Amino acid sequence: MRTGIQAMILCAVGSILGLAGNALTPRPAPLREPVHAAAEQPGAVCHDLSVEIPRISFTDAAPLCIACKASFVDARSAAEYAGGHVNGALHLAPGEDPALLLPQLRSPVIVYDGDAACAVADKVAGELRALGVADVRVLSGAWPGWLAAGGPGESGACAVCGAGR
Amino acid sequence: MKRVVLACRLFTGAVFLFAAVTKLPDLRAFAETIANFRILPAAVVGPIAAMVVGVELLTGLALTAGVFTRPAATLASGMLVLFVGFLVQALARGIDLRCGCFGGDELATWGTVVRDVALLVPALLVALQPRPAPQTVS
Repeated sequence: MRTGIQAMILCAVGSILGLAGNALTPRPAPLREPVHAAAEQPGAVCHDLSVEIPRISFTDAAPLCIACKASFVDARSAAEYAGGHVNGALHLAPGEDPALLLPQLRSPVIVYDGDAACAVADKVAGELRALGVADVRVLSGAWPGWLAAGGPGESGACAVCGAGR
Repeated sequence: MKRVVLACRLFTGAVFLFAAVTKLPDLRAFAETIANFRILPAAVVGPIAAMVVGVELLTGLALTAGVFTRPAATLASGMLVLFVGFLVQALARGIDLRCGCFGGDELATWGTVVRDVALLVPALLVALQPRPAPQTVS
């Protein structure tokens, strides 16, 4: 009985300690705003955490682009792709049939999207990996990072990616 | 037996201290991990995250320092039972998430459940150790 009461007191003191010390930590837990599960966030994308797609930085990816030693895959919408994309990139949005694309891919395959979180690129990269493409990476910083760093780009629809693009 | 209890106390204390210290640099991420278990209302997730780490820290300190040993071990056992419950309900519902055990990106798996159950053994051993018999003065 006494042990139980002491455990509860310990729990209460620890809780107060945690709440009081929270603000002193580098990234405190938000105490006054709700914290939602990732799947409930706006724009959440189903993501298999067991499939870790390696990242590639702009510094490492740009020379491969210039030397044409890698395939770039743009996972954004067809309209965004047409508005501007990495030089020579192919277009493949999530869920689209990659059959036409597969024979054109050369290793490594670098996938990017329009958001720094890279959730869409991760999804497409996962799909390509599931189809047997071994060396798939996701571009850190995505398209905005590529543009900001002065990476080579071009615009226009993808003639070789499939009908209607 | 005394040595076994001592080893269990120090081990459990060290595990709880380590668990707290690895979470401290990014309590927001820990709160997000708790939210992903989808068992608590979003409004209380942040405070609960901070409280859990505070309790882990105090429990770890008490066990390693040897003060309030039995209550601290009881609390540690209770927390481990809660962690196991959280993990099992998430895994049973097919929720894919990080376990949040020691900061970092470790995935929650049935192996994590087994590990937490295994950690429960030394914690219970300390919590349930018999009280020393009162000394009588003749």
